[in-house]
Amino acid sequence: MQNFLQLSFTALQIGAVYILFSLGLTLIFGVLRIVNFAHGQFFTLSALCASVAVPWLAALGLPVWAAYVAACVAGVALTSLFGAVVYELGFKRVERDMIGSFILSAGLVLMIEGALLKLFGGGVRPVPPLFEGNVDVLGVSVASQRLVLCAVAVGLTVALTRALGTTRFGKALRAVSIDHEAAMLQGIPYRRIAFLGFMAATAVGAVAGALIAPVAAVTPTLGDSYLVKGFIAVVIGGMGSVPGAILGSLFIAFIESFVGFHFDPSVANLAIFVLVMVFLLVRPKGLMGHD
Amino acid sequence: MTDRFIRNGLPGLLAVAAASLLVTSGYAGNLIIWVAVAAALASSLRFVLLIGELNFSVAAFFGLGAYTSGVTTTIWELPFWLSLLASGGVALLVSMVFGFVTLRVKGPYFLLIGFAFTEALRILYTRSEWLGGNSGMVGIFPPEALSDRFPTFVVLTVGAMILVLALIERSHLGRIFTAIRDNDNVVRSVGIPVHLTKVLCFCIASFMTGVAGALQAFSNNVISPLDFSFLLSTFALAYLKVGGEGHPGGPILGAVILVLLASVAQGFGGAEHIFYGAAIVISVLFLPSGLMGLAARLCRRGARPGVARAAGDL
Repeated sequence: MQNFLQLSFTALQIGAVYILFSLGLTLIFGVLRIVNFAHGQFFTLSALCASVAVPWLAALGLPVWAAYVAACVAGVALTSLFGAVVYELGFKRVERDMIGSFILSAGLVLMIEGALLKLFGGGVRPVPPLFEGNVDVLGVSVASQRLVLCAVAVGLTVALTRALGTTRFGKALRAVSIDHEAAMLQGIPYRRIAFLGFMAATAVGAVAGALIAPVAAVTPTLGDSYLVKGFIAVVIGGMGSVPGAILGSLFIAFIESFVGFHFDPSVANLAIFVLVMVFLLVRPKGLMGHD
Repeated sequence: MTDRFIRNGLPGLLAVAAASLLVTSGYAGNLIIWVAVAAALASSLRFVLLIGELNFSVAAFFGLGAYTSGVTTTIWELPFWLSLLASGGVALLVSMVFGFVTLRVKGPYFLLIGFAFTEALRILYTRSEWLGGNSGMVGIFPPEALSDRFPTFVVLTVGAMILVLALIERSHLGRIFTAIRDNDNVVRSVGIPVHLTKVLCFCIASFMTGVAGALQAFSNNVISPLDFSFLLSTFALAYLKVGGEGHPGGPILGAVILVLLASVAQGFGGAEHIFYGAAIVISVLFLPSGLMGLAARLCRRGARPGVARAAGDL
């Protein structure tokens, strides 16, 4: 029971980050029909910003948590700005061209990863712990900083899904992702929604990166493993579907946590892959896929 | 277009092979092998693009070929020819199963599953002790008789395979492949088994990728799991995109130019990734049909004034 709770908590925590990551992927695919390979690079950029800014701000005399919040805001803002530039100069020209946009994003992956390696070097950049000590939840001992990060990630996910379901912008985004031509006929400004959708997805990815920075080994290649998992989550859930991405992410997080504990992490990765293959045999369009 | 490629292909291949005889070994020889293997990878990618699918698992089959040649040469000690054939064979068998399962899905799903398969195989190699784990396998040597002339052998093998691909593309089967890309429902409506045809296309390309992987292993003598990550598929994409996917010569042109430029760029401090990335981005944004497309457009522009004058005379 103890193990079960501990593992469930771990799964929830990584799951929340996977959800934030794959929500960005599925939104971009839904709205623009772009398979954005460079999403992991936005995620990494924001995590790297946080890992550079926190020690720097802390040295200036700020408390660690304040430095972390400031670093997160700065990292997300910088990443969003970068995302806007990439969209305006690149993706705008190849939207709705699945293969063309994918090739462009694969090129961006190589370029950005190379540039980040040059800028930051290949070493691990540790972020100082935000809160010390452990907390007991339901008889399970959890590091308090993990608890806080998990709460923030879960809260953001809930807020985001509610916003997508109820706000005007969220409804417009979902309408465009189901059928962009019908949406335009209803007077939804496609160009603006596409741009804002890309920005929102990038910002969510950046938030996920900033949230993972204190508990992960931050390197310029951090995003790669999240990219694989995020895409598998989206494939399981159905490309472009928001609830699908959430279910897929939780599924992967639970397998990773439980199989990883009882066997070892690479077996968990293999298991995830085999399950996806089996899954595609049964449901080729994913759990919630349409089109 | 394809006809001319096939007609000029054989003499061209023989000329290149003859030229490569002048280079026996050393850096120039390795460069020739890299170009040939890169051309094979990009051509295989292009071949699956005929049915409209981007085959991101190309690195996985390349790795399978390389590891098969490693196992058959160093552990089972099979002769070179058998080992080369086995590499293609293993890639073919795995691609049959993998393609049969995954080619039911299209577009982004197929692409992403290929990506996941590549990473999964890489993890499998690092976990397998008998395959050398993280450090890989060593001592994969070509036979004595070939070792001096290995660049020529690679050029001939790869060239022959690319010519066969072009022949298939021109044949009736190739027309069916393109028809599936354009509208698979029409193809299905005349009674052609679309799914099996797609698997066949995928298998042919994967066999070639497997053999290319084996050639790479024999020329490097050493393989390790890190050589076969999804970055390899991205590099293949770069060769294809820079050369242009509309013409069978595109992947070859792209491979020649990018591999040679990258080997020059390495002198400036190993910014290989940035270089390949920039090449892809620039060619997607500014050269949508690659260098081959650019060349064709320039030729047409050169011809147009003549046409205009002729029209004016009438």
